[in-house]
Amino acid sequence: MSNRAVLVIGGGIAGIQASIDLANMGLQVYLVESTPSIGGRMAQLDKTFPTNDCSMCILAPKMIECAGHENVHLFTYSEVDEVRGEAGEFKVTVRRKPRYVDLNRCTGCGDCVEKCPRRVADEFNMGLSQRKAIYLPFPQAVPRKVTIDAETCLYLTKGRCRLCEETCEAGAIDFEQQEELVELEVAAIVMATGFDPYDPTSLKEYGYGEIENVITALELERLICASGPTGGHLERPSDGKVPRTVAFIQCVGSRDVHYKPYCSSVCCMHATKEAILANEHHPDLRSFIFYTDMRAVGKQFQEYVIRAREEYSVTYVRSRPGHIAVDQDTGNPIVWYDETVFGEAGDRVRRVTSMEVDLVILCQALVPHGVHREMVEKLGLELDESGFVAIQDRLIRPVDTSVSGIFACGFCQSPQDIPDSVIQASATAARVAELLGPRK
Amino acid sequence: MPKTRVGVFVCHCGNNIGGVVRVPEVVEFARTLPNVVYAEDNLYTCSEEGLSSIKSQIGEQNLNRVVVASCTPRTHEPLFKEACEEAGLNRYLFEFVNIREHCSWVHAHEPAKATEKAKELVKMGVAKACYLEPQEEFESEVFPAALVIGGGISGMTAALSLAGQGVDVHLVERERELGGLIRRVRTLFPTEQDTAEVLGPLIERVEKHPQITTYLGSEVESVEGFIGDFDVTVASDGAASELKVGTIIVATGAQELKPLELYGYSQLPNVVTQLDFEEKFKRDAEIPRNVVMINCVGARIPERTYCGRFCCTTAIKNAIWLKEQDPDGSVYVLHRDVMAYGVDIEEFYRRAMELGVRFLRYDIDDPPQILGEERAEAVRVQHQLMGREVVLPADLVILTTPLVAQEGSEKVSKMLKVPLGSEGFFLEAHLKLRPVEFSTDGIFVCGSARYPSNISESVSQAYATAAKAAIPIEDGFVRVEAITAYCDERSCSACGNCVEVCPFGAIELQEGRFGTTAHVNVAQCKGCGCCVAACPSGSMQQRGFDDRQLLSMISALAEEMTGGAGSP
Amino acid sequence: MAQEAHEEHGDGFEPRILVFACNWCSYAGADLAGVSRLQMPASCRVIRVMCSARVRPEFVIAALSKGLDGVLVLGCHPGECHYSEGNYFTRRRGLFLKQLLEYVGIEPERFQVRWVSASEGAKFADTVEEVTEQIKALGPNRPRAHS
Repeated sequence: MSNRAVLVIGGGIAGIQASIDLANMGLQVYLVESTPSIGGRMAQLDKTFPTNDCSMCILAPKMIECAGHENVHLFTYSEVDEVRGEAGEFKVTVRRKPRYVDLNRCTGCGDCVEKCPRRVADEFNMGLSQRKAIYLPFPQAVPRKVTIDAETCLYLTKGRCRLCEETCEAGAIDFEQQEELVELEVAAIVMATGFDPYDPTSLKEYGYGEIENVITALELERLICASGPTGGHLERPSDGKVPRTVAFIQCVGSRDVHYKPYCSSVCCMHATKEAILANEHHPDLRSFIFYTDMRAVGKQFQEYVIRAREEYSVTYVRSRPGHIAVDQDTGNPIVWYDETVFGEAGDRVRRVTSMEVDLVILCQALVPHGVHREMVEKLGLELDESGFVAIQDRLIRPVDTSVSGIFACGFCQSPQDIPDSVIQASATAARVAELLGPRK
Repeated sequence: MPKTRVGVFVCHCGNNIGGVVRVPEVVEFARTLPNVVYAEDNLYTCSEEGLSSIKSQIGEQNLNRVVVASCTPRTHEPLFKEACEEAGLNRYLFEFVNIREHCSWVHAHEPAKATEKAKELVKMGVAKACYLEPQEEFESEVFPAALVIGGGISGMTAALSLAGQGVDVHLVERERELGGLIRRVRTLFPTEQDTAEVLGPLIERVEKHPQITTYLGSEVESVEGFIGDFDVTVASDGAASELKVGTIIVATGAQELKPLELYGYSQLPNVVTQLDFEEKFKRDAEIPRNVVMINCVGARIPERTYCGRFCCTTAIKNAIWLKEQDPDGSVYVLHRDVMAYGVDIEEFYRRAMELGVRFLRYDIDDPPQILGEERAEAVRVQHQLMGREVVLPADLVILTTPLVAQEGSEKVSKMLKVPLGSEGFFLEAHLKLRPVEFSTDGIFVCGSARYPSNISESVSQAYATAAKAAIPIEDGFVRVEAITAYCDERSCSACGNCVEVCPFGAIELQEGRFGTTAHVNVAQCKGCGCCVAACPSGSMQQRGFDDRQLLSMISALAEEMTGGAGSP
Repeated sequence: MAQEAHEEHGDGFEPRILVFACNWCSYAGADLAGVSRLQMPASCRVIRVMCSARVRPEFVIAALSKGLDGVLVLGCHPGECHYSEGNYFTRRRGLFLKQLLEYVGIEPERFQVRWVSASEGAKFADTVEEVTEQIKALGPNRPRAHS
């Protein structure tokens, strides 16, 4: 097979790992990422369970190794437009969206960002803070180049401003930039598009969007993170107070026939981690995790849960709360739940009871990323009933999709944590290598 | 000789370091150290911003030594060395100081002491850096073959993938047949296929593949060498084969825990484990009417804290099987959390409930009790959710136990010099980002040898290790880190101590310009430093860890105590 | 000056202990202690070596004679040395060195050899705790006049 190039769709940790392995195998890798920087969800995390490694600390080197590899060609702020052909000879059209910034000139100094007058909700911080229309998605972004958001930029929408252009000493702003279509020929394709959090607004019983102090797990993650909107200080939305009691509600939208019937796999551990971090930041803080089954199945996971209970003031309450009310005066959410487990023998009364807390975190279901459906259609892949990329033979070919030459790793094919995603990413590299045959 | 110009970069690491150690103070202190011409702090030195800064300062300040004070060298050293190289500075003129794992993280409530310690560590690092010398790396050939230890589903998958990538594979299996643990399992999850359907073709492919040599009834007796050049001895029925391989994959699997002391397992004939059930009952035996399964037996307890990961899956699988064989029979699964994670397993769980399998939660402090004298007749359990005791009739009690470390793991661990974790399974280089590699280059691990994993997960891991094990072989060479020993022949008296102590036989006495002196074979030298410590004349030194460098660190530390900063 | 230092410290004596940790086991164990956030006294300063066998007796003597209060050499457990035999050399040297220290009038307990593996974060923390206490009990090491 003479075409020794591979397309990797998605620049999160799975896409990054697959790219590094494939590049180390001597293959040319085209890594396409829809946002301005690679890094994905892992870049948004503060720490990772169960090691409590600083997420960015372990991710940044991989991002740099990936982008810096001579065999990796990054297409950030880009999308896959069209895919034709078959295994060994795919023809792919990649659409490079205009950033209105010349990547060869931009030094990532950030002067333009300071001057830009237009603010919008920052998606990286889950909307909890604002960014400018010209922006760097996060400080450790790779590539470290700014991007102009065409939908919010004053010049591009209303014809005024251009302050960034004035400010830029490197002359990197280019409002004439057009989108670019790039034709690539690849032998194989790896899909690694990851996940999005499920919007819990439709689960009205939990009051998300109505009760200020009910937030999602990813929102909490950004609040806890030192490089987040509050510098790691856990301030609750309504009044900025540091909560003394926090309730985590598990399985919001997961394991629910009305929403997502499957288990999102990582939320039990995620909640435990966030409870630990919250207590580390604020030692008086107590957490209550309302769960159905505490799925701590990985290496060192049970020990992590035990530590949370014994050292970090975390109490696990077995129950799936039915309703969250609010005390209008204080803004405190009130969690209504069913006691499903009896403490002392003798107390046989089954109570419906409530707990008033300062802050509620909804651990919502995780679903395949927004680009997923479109990508799956373009690639001609099958989806399983839950919307994940269908894997024909989970036992013997766990990363092979329904189309020969196209492989899938990470969350896009099944809910999983970072180590499992990294493993699957390397597994796709092996499958690609098998497909292409030895180098010589 | 150009004047030494040291640049110091102190990392905040978000607030991992900066939240405890007063980083700006450390930077100020660094500026006062001898030979330091530049010092700065970074939010994340390992980020693109930080690395750019290092590279540009090397140029602007004419730095000829770089010291980074941040996390552990075990993660980022290659990254920073790369950055130095890109800026034109030899990568061995770089020194790493750990002020996170060894400082801010472990003295989190003593910021003043942590700051003082960080300063001292930086002073030691700078002192060593001043004595570093540029080095060139040696390229070592990689023998184009791989060894896979273990012929179960993981081992076979790894072998087939490696062979599929064009690599010759030696597959060594202890038993007389391939297949491993799942040979004893009758049906598989989630496809519900008969194991034979899956295993049969796989074994055939392995046996037929021209690039896979299988050794059955064999064990690996010894492994010497290093990545690219491992010398392996395989023993088969008394005969020994000597092999040379470039990389090694450990796929030795695990074994089911037999709970000899629990629930009458050793005494009562109708109390069995899930694997016993697979072996004895799923093949032609009479289907028992009332079955009670007890999960978490010997798992998630103080003596063995981990979760067996897929044992709930197995219980659900067998519960469904029982119900399908006898829809009117009763099947109870007593559990302490149902670990039906993900999509497929959760669906399976739901299906089991729909078929009438009853799941009953019990408390670890109030475990079920087996009732019956010669046989188990019933199980009494405190039903946690109903808050009362129930007695469940049982013709068969199945204990769901976790996998535990494979017999012989310790031997393999010592032989390969790779560590076992606290649970007894092999310990990978990094739990998050290097889950199938060992710290030792060229050796990888997959499947339940690493941690209990279901087939799908084990197979993914096997592919992953195959990808990584193939890369050095396809490259044809690896670079040897320049931390090898060398002998200053002018002062060597050929006493031979070094030759004796070298664990790798990498040193020989040879005739040279200065008479008979010691000579180190760089390809074999692993950089341990045993010879250096044994050398009475100080002729033997280790690149990157020589006496002058280490003594300078000791002096730097001792000086700090008695007088404070400044030139000696 | 030595006397002054001794009086100044008194009860509040904070020992300064030099630790040599081998890259494969004990340094990783120390990292794990950090990752696990096990808190410990700020007495130790780690020097990384590839193998504990790299540590020459001269290092230990230099450290103690320059006034450091203790030296701790950490290696892999016997039988698990990454370089197969290194830690045996360390052990043997250690025994000999203790006798030598006694002979020159330095308390032999100021020098210790311990085994910590890569997965023993807790053991590292305990070892630091223990050795710090032991050396605290010995009091400050009186530095030599000539180092």
